[in-house]
Amino acid sequence: MSERVLEVLDAGRVPYREALEWQRSVAQARIGAQLDHDVLLLLEHPAVVTVGRTAQPRHLLDTAGIEVVEVERGGDVTYHGPGQLVGYPILDLRRYRPDLHWYLRALEQTLIEALARLGIPAQPRAGYTGVWVRGRKIASIGVHVKQWVTWHGFALNVSTDLAQFDRIIACGIPGVEMTSVEREGGRGKGEGAVWEQATAAVIAGFEQVFGVTATAGELASPR
Amino acid sequence: MATPVYMEALSPTMEEGRLVKWHKRDGDAVKAGDTLAEVETDKAVMDLVARADGVLRQIAVTEGQTVPVGKEIAAIVAPGEAVATPQGRGTGDERPVVTAPTPTAPARTVAVAAPAAVADATRVKASPLAKRIARETGLDLKQVTGSGPGGRVVRKDLELAAVATPPVTAPSAAPTPPVPRPPSPVPVSRTGAPYEDAPLTQIRKTIAKRLATSLGPIPHYFLTTEVDMERAAEARAALNQALGTEGKISFNDVILKATALALKQHRACNAWFAEDHIRYWNEVHLGMAVAVDDGLITPVIRNADLKSLSEIGREARELAERARARKLQPAEYTGSTFSVSNLGMFEIDQFTAVINPPEAGILAVGAVVAKPVVVDGQVTTRRRMRITMSCDHRVIDGATGAVFLRTLKGMLENPLAMLL
Repeated sequence: MSERVLEVLDAGRVPYREALEWQRSVAQARIGAQLDHDVLLLLEHPAVVTVGRTAQPRHLLDTAGIEVVEVERGGDVTYHGPGQLVGYPILDLRRYRPDLHWYLRALEQTLIEALARLGIPAQPRAGYTGVWVRGRKIASIGVHVKQWVTWHGFALNVSTDLAQFDRIIACGIPGVEMTSVEREGGRGKGEGAVWEQATAAVIAGFEQVFGVTATAGELASPR
Repeated sequence: MATPVYMEALSPTMEEGRLVKWHKRDGDAVKAGDTLAEVETDKAVMDLVARADGVLRQIAVTEGQTVPVGKEIAAIVAPGEAVATPQGRGTGDERPVVTAPTPTAPARTVAVAAPAAVADATRVKASPLAKRIARETGLDLKQVTGSGPGGRVVRKDLELAAVATPPVTAPSAAPTPPVPRPPSPVPVSRTGAPYEDAPLTQIRKTIAKRLATSLGPIPHYFLTTEVDMERAAEARAALNQALGTEGKISFNDVILKATALALKQHRACNAWFAEDHIRYWNEVHLGMAVAVDDGLITPVIRNADLKSLSEIGREARELAERARARKLQPAEYTGSTFSVSNLGMFEIDQFTAVINPPEAGILAVGAVVAKPVVVDGQVTTRRRMRITMSCDHRVIDGATGAVFLRTLKGMLENPLAMLL
């Protein structure tokens, strides 16, 4: 079996709309075969509320002073902001399994493996895509695919200000309680350490679940 | 030569897909690879792409509709073929023609029924395009010999038939409107269709998901006991007399109060199950199931064990009203540690309720009914009520649940015990 490469681009803080354009263009390049390998974009967004294709407007409770963006991913409303590790895998699923349900479960498993590395026992929850720790939601998932190439992806709360989720009925599930790596006592020592360890754990999770070899990509130019 | 557009599978196990958005409209020019529409399943959205160049036609599915995988939902025709309707194009903002009627009623009563005029044509095998042409031109499909696969009537057959037979005049072709029926307590479909598909509202979806994660994975068992409510009824009557006009106390308030106090004594039943641990609550937050227009919701009376009967009564009424008006904040319907569901007002004697996870128990309360019972060797009439507790066996064992119910029964049969 030939080795599958996953180029990881750690992009730092990128405004949501800019990142959206970016991932769409990478996905388009993958569809058009100008890009011959899969890519994982890792980043963080300034505070924003995004509204998926199946969202109900009444799940937006308080949008004062925050940007709201409507997007083409599956799922309901969610919040992104500082301290949340966002991953946009641009994968050609035909190289794995052309099966969106499999892909959603594989993303969950990737994050569960990553959290295990941080000392947090996490589970999937039947009927509720995402990753859960003791009944609280730690990561959200919403994906889009065209000709089996994926974009959008997951958002893992590392040290997110969880009070921001009170602005919305997260994922359309009333009463869902959000949590973060920090709140669940995930390992990490000193300033910045939790973030770096979470990033490394997510990359390792991808290698394990998707059977890929991660390589650090260079950001060719400012996007 | 038209290229059909099919609902595609996003996964081998997927049987139907929900069309969430059309990117192209009827009459739009499309190129192979263009995104025609978006299809959703779970938390994933897939672009449905054009497999040919041409003009998009015969859109047969509206946004929000769920259709089986493999169903033909539109077609891509050659530009010359595009004019399929007698009116032709050119109005500029032509709307899809074969779509289900757009609902004008509130969304929760939406019916996705086929247009009535098509019903007659569906008994004949015919392509969607042929059916549309037949409807628009007044041709009877049953009179047309089909040349398509399996005798299917296709457009060509209709064109030939239109030349051969004069079109039926419009008035006689119009279907006779059905005779209006007298008002009936049972809702009758106005379209005469054998069924109506109502898209799931968000609350119904949430109920479906939550309850499916309950009765399936949670090992439920049920304990029923019959409670003598004579003394509770007397106490309630006396209290209501004393309270005068400041709000009455209902049987349900008495049950909520007694349940809260009994839970305080039996922490083993006031618990959450959380996969790797059980959380035993020291506080009692009682969920109270309230029927609302399109479902149910369980507002929470916090620290119910610390509240007086009249406080519980007032709060229960307020929460129920706000629940029906859909004005509850999420904080008001989350975080309960145990729930109570009462169907006594519907004259239900006894029932079992589905546990609201992560809670470990729920009490189902039946009606207070006068019945003959034997007291001290004499047959006499007493007001009795049946209560059934559903228990999560992972948290509450049989004897644990039984002891809790005995305490609760004792409090209801002798309300003074609540003061102990």
